[in-house]
Amino acid sequence: MGDLNDMFRKRLKMLSIVVILVIGTLVARAGYLQILEGDHYKELADGNRIRIVPSMAPRGTFYDRNGELLVTNRPGFTVSLVPLTAPISEDVIARVSELVNVPVEEIHDKIAAHSGFNPIRIKTDVTPDIVSIIEEQKDSYPGVTIEVQPIRDYIYNEAGAHMYGYVSEINDEELKKLKDEGYKSGDIIGKFGLEKVYDKELRGENGGEQVEVDVSGKPVKLIGRKPPVAGGDLILTVDSHIQAAAEKAVDEQLGMIGAQGAAAVVMNPQTGEILAMVSRPAFNPNLFSRGISTKDWNELNNNPYHPMDNKTISGEYPPGSTFKIVTGTAALTEGVVTPGEIIFDSGHHWIIPKGNADGEALGPIDFREALAHSDNVYFYEMGNRLGIDRLEKYARMFGLGERTGIDLPYEAKGLVANRRYKELNFEDGDWYLSETFDASIGQGFNLVTPLQAAMVMGEIAADGKRYQPHLVQRIIGPDGSVVKEFNPVLLSKVDAPDDVIQLVQAGLHDVTLYGTAAKVFKGFPIEIAGKTGTAENSQGRDHGWFVAYGPFDNPNVVVAVIVENGGYGSQSAVPIGRKILEAAFGLDQKPTGEADGKNKESN
Amino acid sequence: MTKNIWRRTDWPLILATAAIIIMSLVIIGSATHINTPSEERYWYVQRQGMFALVNVAIAFFLMNFDYKILQGYGNKLYIFNLILLLAVMIFGHSALGAQRWIMIGPISIQPSEFSKLIMIVSIAAILNDRVGKLNSLRDLLPVALYVGIPFILVLKQPDLGTSLVFMAIFFGMVFVSGINMKLLGGIFAAVIAAMPVLWHFLKDYQKMRIMVFMDPNVDPLGSGYHIIQSKIAIGSGMLYGKGLFAGTQSQLNFLPENHTDFIFAVVGEELGFVGVCFLLFLYLVVLLRGLQIARDAGDTFGRLLAVGITSMLAFHVLVNVGMTMGIMPVTGIPLPLMSYGVSSLTTNILSIAILLNIERRRQKLLF
Repeated sequence: MGDLNDMFRKRLKMLSIVVILVIGTLVARAGYLQILEGDHYKELADGNRIRIVPSMAPRGTFYDRNGELLVTNRPGFTVSLVPLTAPISEDVIARVSELVNVPVEEIHDKIAAHSGFNPIRIKTDVTPDIVSIIEEQKDSYPGVTIEVQPIRDYIYNEAGAHMYGYVSEINDEELKKLKDEGYKSGDIIGKFGLEKVYDKELRGENGGEQVEVDVSGKPVKLIGRKPPVAGGDLILTVDSHIQAAAEKAVDEQLGMIGAQGAAAVVMNPQTGEILAMVSRPAFNPNLFSRGISTKDWNELNNNPYHPMDNKTISGEYPPGSTFKIVTGTAALTEGVVTPGEIIFDSGHHWIIPKGNADGEALGPIDFREALAHSDNVYFYEMGNRLGIDRLEKYARMFGLGERTGIDLPYEAKGLVANRRYKELNFEDGDWYLSETFDASIGQGFNLVTPLQAAMVMGEIAADGKRYQPHLVQRIIGPDGSVVKEFNPVLLSKVDAPDDVIQLVQAGLHDVTLYGTAAKVFKGFPIEIAGKTGTAENSQGRDHGWFVAYGPFDNPNVVVAVIVENGGYGSQSAVPIGRKILEAAFGLDQKPTGEADGKNKESN
Repeated sequence: MTKNIWRRTDWPLILATAAIIIMSLVIIGSATHINTPSEERYWYVQRQGMFALVNVAIAFFLMNFDYKILQGYGNKLYIFNLILLLAVMIFGHSALGAQRWIMIGPISIQPSEFSKLIMIVSIAAILNDRVGKLNSLRDLLPVALYVGIPFILVLKQPDLGTSLVFMAIFFGMVFVSGINMKLLGGIFAAVIAAMPVLWHFLKDYQKMRIMVFMDPNVDPLGSGYHIIQSKIAIGSGMLYGKGLFAGTQSQLNFLPENHTDFIFAVVGEELGFVGVCFLLFLYLVVLLRGLQIARDAGDTFGRLLAVGITSMLAFHVLVNVGMTMGIMPVTGIPLPLMSYGVSSLTTNILSIAILLNIERRRQKLLF
């Protein structure tokens, strides 16, 4: 019995030790979790229950110069996933994928790319029936929410698209670049056009609600709220009437001649204000607001005529005969020719047998006649007398070969023919006279954007003054105050005597009176100065140019039009230019029977 | 006479038990009040409190009997236990993948809870004559078979947790019965060696639980979710806790089963490390008193009963609390006297009552 009692005591003592060890272990574990790792778990617990429900600031809207609304926002429903404590299940992803017609892989990519507690947007701007399905069958869609978001609405769809640009969700690259400026993953950001350039002014400040949620993601308590601050509105220099007319004129002409690409710029030469801007083919920016489908994106990207390019500023074309404005101004200013000097056009130049397009010979002509009829032989001779270096100097004086600095992204510089360029880019770096000849009539190495072509014409119209082209007059804050005002900026002045500019103006006036654009402008009630051009194009049919301004005595409108592969400018571009000028001077609103009748005739 | 009886009462055990029960009512109240409609807000607390009182009354009443009479019922209770477990298998109401409940009127009882206590009585009875004589496998085999049958039945329910409790009770009791240490070591070695074989007998969800125990992130939405959320709850309680009724994990439903199996996590979250230490201290008092009572017991049967009860309680505390803190697999073992549940509460109060009974009767021998 004593042995047994000893054994009992011994073994019970051992059990006591085991019990103390067990409790000790549990205390130690609790200490580890609560004291050592407590902060970590506290963070996790807060992450579990606190959600940010963002409310997106309405983006600033666009108005034209007369207060007409161009780009605005409308409420739209967005299907998003809210990352709960645990990943969204495959079943739910599959169900959502089917419902909103977004591939499962795409959803996975979005989830993988996402971090933090903000909702992951799967499909923007869904229809109300999808909203009601998700709301009614909430249990089948755990972690799926409907957000009401402002959706960018481009009222006129394609019209003005290249100016306004488009918006879509910020990508990784942009995020990396803009993180310091307060941009966040999931933000809607301007990707193109004014939306891109003025993104900071337009975006406003996103607000949100900090809510406490339960395990199903259902908000139970509002912790804090920050109201969104709307972005600033842009008052554009654009005149929507001229814009619409320009769009229509370009489309009609392209349809008629079966061409695809075109660009047109309308500007006030006295201020640099852009009145209209058209680029063809165009795209519908609303596609991006809704979250563009892969199919639509591929269609836009694979279009050989590049609908996503704003050809008015990024298209570079040989200026063709419109360049004779530069050559002529240079020749008169440098005194290599007098206005009255007669040069004999026998059909081709006497040093190098280059001539007019159809080999026609205009005989003895002076400066004004040469400009009006766009005589090549006369201007070859001007080039011959000036030499390439002086030609380059004047081209640069007009602002060619450099960006105008318009408030749009992706502007091209163009190219001014010069010796250095030849040296750097060609095996045979020597400069030949024939290249000077080409340069003097806007062929060869010369390249300009339609906006630059408009600028050159505008400088002549404004007596040599070169104003910076711009699209925005004012930015208006959400409280109605003017945040920023854009006044005309004089960039430079063409260094030519007044009488030279006046002579060039007169020559350009003659173009619509008896020159290359006279036929189309017959009976036009306002006096117009113009210049046609036909740019030789090694890739295909010639591009047709037309630049013009009016009224001749007090010009406030300058137009540049190019029709890609349109052939002669006088046939392809000039009719567009006329219609745009009609709209600019309000002639299309009055029943001017004569002009209308004429158009129908030519159709 | 009355005075004597009270002097022979184990006050530390009673106070610790009472403290745990009161704490349990507060925590159950906190864990359940927010997710219940307001008119039923305190349903769980009231129910648990009511049954606690009823059980205490029963325990009081049972004090008039000598626990030793149980010894004669060892085999009858054993047969009753087998019938009970079979009844569960046949009529059982299944929940959460296991058949564990039998409905008797409005009360659903969980026979496996009671069967633990019955097993302790039966084992104590059968071991009574074998104390000090467990030297070979042949000595142990009858006892092992005796325990093995109900063990298999519980395992079949399937209730891995309770079957493990059976094992813990069995080992605790044979250990104190003076089993040869080499034999015990051999059995442990054999059990460990048999693990891979046993693995195949586990249900998929049980395998998953064990895999998840190794790494909760294996199945963060499923079984791992409980562990992750529970650890977050406890850890985020830090030193002083978030305060009663203020645990975000528990109140916002992130914590599953927060008034039953995971109630310890609510203690951890709302009362912090301080509350956890206090509760574990109360358990330490109960367990050490249990072993002290075993030592002081007037007879071998009482000694074995006390050891069996203490082993059961200790194993419950270890596995349940360990589970909520991620150091034990999820097995569905409730925390004694804390977890909501009538069957478990009744079993545990009766167990404490038996301990008190043993303590109270020991003096007889001294007189």
